[in-house]
Parts: sequence; structure tokens; C-alpha cells
Amino acid sequence: MAENTDKMVIDGVELTGIWKEFLPSRILYEDVTTEFLDEVKKLPGGSTIVKCYQCGTCSGGCTLPDFVDKFNPRRFIDLVRRGHYDILVNENKDLVWKCVSCQRCTHRCPRGVNTQEVVRAIAKFLENRKVFGKITNDEAFDEIFMDEVIEDGRIDEVKIVKDFYSKTGRLKDMMSADQISLGFKMLTSGRIKLFGGRIKDWKKVSQRLKEELQ
Amino acid sequence: MKTVLVIGGGVTGLKAASELAEMGYNVSLVEKEDYLGGQVTKHKYYKLAPDLRLAGDVIYPVIKAVESNSNIKVLKHSQITAVSGAAPEFKAKIKNSKGESEETFGAIVVATGFDHFDPTVKQEYGYGRFKDVVTNAEVEEMLNPNGPTKGELKRPSDGKTPKKIAIFQCVGSRDRQVGNPYCCRVGCVVSTKQAIEIKEKYPDSEVYVYYMDMRMFGRGWEELYGKAMEDYEIIFTRGRGAEVTLKNQQLSLRAEETIMDRPIQHSVDMIILAAGMAAGEGTIDAAKVLGIKQNDYGFLAPKDDFLSPNESSKPGIFIAGADKGPMDIENCIVEGAAVAAKVAGSLKN
Repeated sequence: MAENTDKMVIDGVELTGIWKEFLPSRILYEDVTTEFLDEVKKLPGGSTIVKCYQCGTCSGGCTLPDFVDKFNPRRFIDLVRRGHYDILVNENKDLVWKCVSCQRCTHRCPRGVNTQEVVRAIAKFLENRKVFGKITNDEAFDEIFMDEVIEDGRIDEVKIVKDFYSKTGRLKDMMSADQISLGFKMLTSGRIKLFGGRIKDWKKVSQRLKEELQ
Repeated sequence: MKTVLVIGGGVTGLKAASELAEMGYNVSLVEKEDYLGGQVTKHKYYKLAPDLRLAGDVIYPVIKAVESNSNIKVLKHSQITAVSGAAPEFKAKIKNSKGESEETFGAIVVATGFDHFDPTVKQEYGYGRFKDVVTNAEVEEMLNPNGPTKGELKRPSDGKTPKKIAIFQCVGSRDRQVGNPYCCRVGCVVSTKQAIEIKEKYPDSEVYVYYMDMRMFGRGWEELYGKAMEDYEIIFTRGRGAEVTLKNQQLSLRAEETIMDRPIQHSVDMIILAAGMAAGEGTIDAAKVLGIKQNDYGFLAPKDDFLSPNESSKPGIFIAGADKGPMDIENCIVEGAAVAAKVAGSLKN
């Protein structure tokens, strides 16, 4: 290997200059890795991420930035592709999942990237890495809701409320006086039933859904 | 029947000579080296973009057409030292190892081509200082099974196969510092092609391309670019390579990811410089000997870029191919045929 350029002395003359020693270089990030790209690619919907050529059509037409400043699908894709994991987590972990799936980006993409699915895959990738910390009530409700739909094919109000309170560790609140009286009122007026009906042969659909969502 | 002098045995010269000979003209083909095929032969071009077909499949038929035609006299190791007279009678002195001789020609075709830009002057890239910084022409030689490494990509420093490879675009092109503000027109597609070849041969390697723009204007080029991203997962980074240094005995490049607004430092095993095209030594010599006009960068200037692209500033002297400016092989062959038609037309009058 050739000589180290931090100091290059030829015929007694230092050629690189000492400026390097008092001018720190403006390097914000070191090295590039495809590790995260490989991971996202394997997630459902993530495979088209490699097609992106960073034109910005997705972000340009995105419905979200009016409401969510800095929501930028192109940027999410590039951060993953280059392995800028720290920025993805620090600056974007609260953004990626806000996509409303309007599909404008997917329809307009000149490269055939399924942008909405890729953004979803990136959110999933972050979720798998557990960067979101403790789940919020909203997220807990979403999870229970989805689980219920997949399991039974319909929503059983009593079960979902019970699961929600137990998942967020607030079973005590459910047993409070006003909750109980509210529940009783709804039960007597026929708004809710204690045992929700079953859907015929849902097991097969449920099985298929689970496979697909793997 | 008048004889035509073709200067330069590269793709354009060969094509022009064989076309003229087929039309029945006698041709003298003067080549300064002892081989035909110009840069394609010199740097052992292996595969051609965008179809990745072997360069040999293109160049050998063109060479064969010249060598098998009895109307063509091939003069290797020869140079034109002086030209006097005017159309339609030029007297040219041809010098070779045997001595100097003077011959009369009806027309002259200049097809002296280009030279690969020498990146030594771009000191910040460390070419010549770091052994593992190589040019795209050197990679072409390496990838060719008949080349010095028998088709293996190897680091010149230790002979190992590099795992992380970075390619710098626009080296010596679009660069006023070195006096070449023009686009080399082939660097983008050649780098993409080489990246694909490397990934095909070494699927475990990582190839990063640092570019300002990817100018994929040719036939099938844009599709090749897409293929490189989708099928081969080559990482294209927008941002020109700024400098190359050594860090812990490893090559380290600096660039800005302009899309992300962040300067980066990236350690790699090998750096390929996509060196562009400069006016060839032969082109500059020919312009001097023949007294024809050059443009600001040393390339030959046509009489009229739109209306008479193959005529030089002097009547009876015709120009074609990469001596007019950067050009790919596909277009050089078109140019060779075009100039032959123009010469034939002028000799009839």
C-alpha cells in the first residue's frame, strides 16, 4: 500500500499541509452499508425499494407534508439504502408510520416502486428493531383490533374493551363505577352482546391471513 | 482510380476503409501502432454496453473486412509526417521503420480517435499514488480473460479480490480545472456495465457509484441503469467523489451525498476512476500536419456541425469518429460508413 497521506514528506517537504490538524473535516457520517437494505427488502412489500432512483415524485405529490412536516418517502428509502440507521431512528421513527396509504406515490412512481408498501416495510423494519419503545394506547388498540379481526373476522365489543384494558395494564379502570354502569346500559339497550356471533368457516380465512401477514 | 488515405486504424478508420474498398476505391490505411483496432485492442475492451456482448464480436469482423480486402493496403507502425498539395491531389509523406516514402492520394480521412484521460493530474483522487485507485480502462483489461489478470478483478497492491468497490464518475470530464468542460458521453454507461460485470462475477462484492448525473441517453442505456439498480443492487450515490485518502491503511473516499445533504467518508478496497475522453495524441499531430481546425479541447472541428459533420476545414480532408469529440463504438461505426459515402461523393466530382 502507498504511503499514509496524513503526512506525506518528499525531499524533506511536507506536502499535505498542516491545515488538516487544525481544520476538522466536515464528516457527519462514516461508511455506507447495505445491511438494512437487505433486511427491508425481505419484508412484505419491501422488495421494490431497489428500483428507486431518487427523483422525488413520491415526496413531491405526497398528501402528508401539509400536516406532517418532514414526511418524505424518498428520504426514508435513501436512508435505508445507505444504512443511515441513526438518522432513520432519531429523526424519522415518528414519521414513517404516519403514511395514510393514499397511494398517490405508488401510482405516480416512474420506476414502479410500490412506495406505500416500501414505507410500510420500513416502519415494520423499525418496529422489528423495537425502536418505538413502550407502545401507546393507540398502538395497543390497533394491535388488539387487528388481532381480533384476524382471529374472529369480526369485532366483539366486550372482548376488545377487556383486552384493551388488560393490555395497557388498566383492568382496574374497567371495573370503575361509570364504566360498569355504561356497559350495563349498553347491554340492556341491545347495543352490545355478551357473546358475539361467529362467522362460518372463518378458521380457513384466518389461517390464510396469518400466512400472508407472516 | 484514385487512392484514399485513411489515418488511424481504430473502429472508425477500419469501417471507413472497408466501406471505401467495397465501393472499389484503393485505400491506404496508416496506423502508428503495430495492431489494428485502436483503443479497443489496446485496452482489451471486454464487453460492450448495453448488451454486454463481447467487444471482440464487434471489432474482429471489422478488422477482418479490412485485412481480407485486396483494395486496402494496411501500413502498420507508420505515421504521416507531412502533407502537401490540395484536393484532389495530396502528397503525403509516410514514415515507418523502413524509411520515408511519398504517395499521392485523392482524399484523406482522419480517424485518429481519442486517448483515455490521464487522471494523474487529478491529484486529489490519488491515481498513481495509491495502487488501488485504477482507471476504467485498467478494469476493462482486468475483466478480459486475455488480460493481465486472466479475467479476475484484483487489487494491484496485494492481488486480492476487492470486496467494496467505489466508482467515481466524471474524472476529467465536466471539469474546467483540467480544461475538459465537456461530457465524455460514455463514462456513465461504461461504469454501470463494469459494475454489473463485477457483481455478476463476484456476487458478494458491494459496488458504489458516485455520480453527478447518470446520463443514459444511448440505446438501451437507461434500461441497463435500471437493471443495475434492480437486479444487481449497485448503490448509486449522487455526489461527486471529492478526495481519496488512506485511513488505517485502507482507501477512504470523501464525497457529499447531495440528496441527503451530508458529507461522508467511506472506506473501500478499490476505487475505479471513470476517466473520460481526451483528444488523442494522433489527433493533435494530425491537426498540426494537415493544418485543419481544432476546437477548444483539441478535437477536430467539422466545417459545419449540422450540415457537413464529416468535412474538415480544408476541402478534400474528411474527419470522422472520436477525433471529433467523445463518441461510443456504435456511433463510430456509423461515422466510418458516413465518411466513406462523403469521400466517394467528393471523388466522383
